[in-house]
Amino acid sequence: MSSVARDRVRELMGEVMTAQGRSLPADDSAELRTIGFRSLDFSELALRVEDELDDELNFDAPGLRRIATIGDVLDFIEQLQSA
Amino acid sequence: MTTRRRTTALIGDDNTVVVAGKSLTWRTLHKLPQLPSPAAVLVDNGADALAALRHHAVHGTELLVATSSRVDEYMREELGESGFSIVLPDGKVTPATLKRVEESGRAWLLTSGSTGRPKRIGHTLESLTTVTADQPPRTWLLPYSPGTYAWWQVVMISLTQPDQGLVVIEPHELEDWPLIAARHGVTAASGTPTFWRQAIYRDAEALAAVPLEQITLGGEPVDQAILDQLHDLFPKARISWIYASSEVGASIVVHDGKAGFPREWLQRAPDPDRPMLSVEGDELVIRSPHHGAGLVGAVHTGDRIEYDGDRVLITGRLDTDEINVGGSKVSAGVVRGVLMAHPGVAWARVFARKAPLVGRMVAAEVVTNDSLGPIADVDLVQWCSSRLPDYGVPRRIKFLDEIPQKETLKSDV
Repeated sequence: MSSVARDRVRELMGEVMTAQGRSLPADDSAELRTIGFRSLDFSELALRVEDELDDELNFDAPGLRRIATIGDVLDFIEQLQSA
Repeated sequence: MTTRRRTTALIGDDNTVVVAGKSLTWRTLHKLPQLPSPAAVLVDNGADALAALRHHAVHGTELLVATSSRVDEYMREELGESGFSIVLPDGKVTPATLKRVEESGRAWLLTSGSTGRPKRIGHTLESLTTVTADQPPRTWLLPYSPGTYAWWQVVMISLTQPDQGLVVIEPHELEDWPLIAARHGVTAASGTPTFWRQAIYRDAEALAAVPLEQITLGGEPVDQAILDQLHDLFPKARISWIYASSEVGASIVVHDGKAGFPREWLQRAPDPDRPMLSVEGDELVIRSPHHGAGLVGAVHTGDRIEYDGDRVLITGRLDTDEINVGGSKVSAGVVRGVLMAHPGVAWARVFARKAPLVGRMVAAEVVTNDSLGPIADVDLVQWCSSRLPDYGVPRRIKFLDEIPQKETLKSDV
């Protein structure tokens, strides 16, 4: 399966935020709670990545983990693509 | 085979019928060779379908008429095993594999198949004639696919009422129907909301040139936006929407220009000549005097309703209308109504898309018009965000180049 690069995932995350009338901070350590990135936004990001991949992400494979920052989201999407 | 003549059905025999540009009447339509009975007549043009219907009206034979493209090999086999001889567009007849006595006067319809494989519903010319009051002289457009309930509704007006002409639109003429309608002085037209949206989207000016006095919508959920657009184009026309199906017949007819029907209709006193409407859970339930054979009593329509003040809106099919987003439920029909109310949107389809964390998300396909210039998904998301709960906002919006339309004039919304 091809993959979407981390930088591109960050761009897509920015598009999700823009569509909601917000912007994505440059700092990967920014807290999702602070910037208002919610579960619906995360789900939308996953769909955007799937559309770029033209394939579904496998959410069953990775174990549960805490996703609290922008960096966590990017790590998690990276991990999903390699699963 | 019976030769019982159904004189009451032929009051309109001298009405004008325009097919393939030729102006004829029901009486001067070409005659089909004597049809077997029961027969499934598969046609590839509107003239043959009308000829088959007139043959049925004169001879009382058992008839199913449909376009050949709607009846696949498997269904033809099923029909043969149910006693129907199959008459193909070229006139070839495949005899029935089961021999049985005909049901004299029985007309069979195939459902549109929007809820799965098309089903066969039994009617008679009487049960298909729901407009019985005298009508002002009109020329009706006939854009529907032969054999569907909507097709029967329009042709029965022309066959049973004086001064009700017909202008038949073949599938290859659908894109240019306003030009044909204007040429032949069409004053009444019935179509799905998709059909009307496409006409406005393609060429609103050509549409406005049709001298329409009666506009009817049905077959799909009817939203306020399309009613308003048609009213703007035809301020003097009567605009009606009809809830009708092969199963329950024409059961709701609304002329006030508003989406939905008055809530007080759910409390109407029982009347054997009028459909009784009720709601169970979110589902519309109808007892109809126009029902198909064997469907007497309450019919659970499978259509979902939603209350909006003093109106009852029909939002879509129960099994596909409700989208569960992480435990919060939203009606696809309601979301679609919000999208369609955007002045730059010509058409929209709303559906559930599988998504992580929340299970399903609301997604949409949209066709824009150019009245506001280019529109981006961000514009539509913001439009919806101020009108819907956050879980109801479409998160993935795909822009299509044109409004998709099936043979039934519907678009799977």
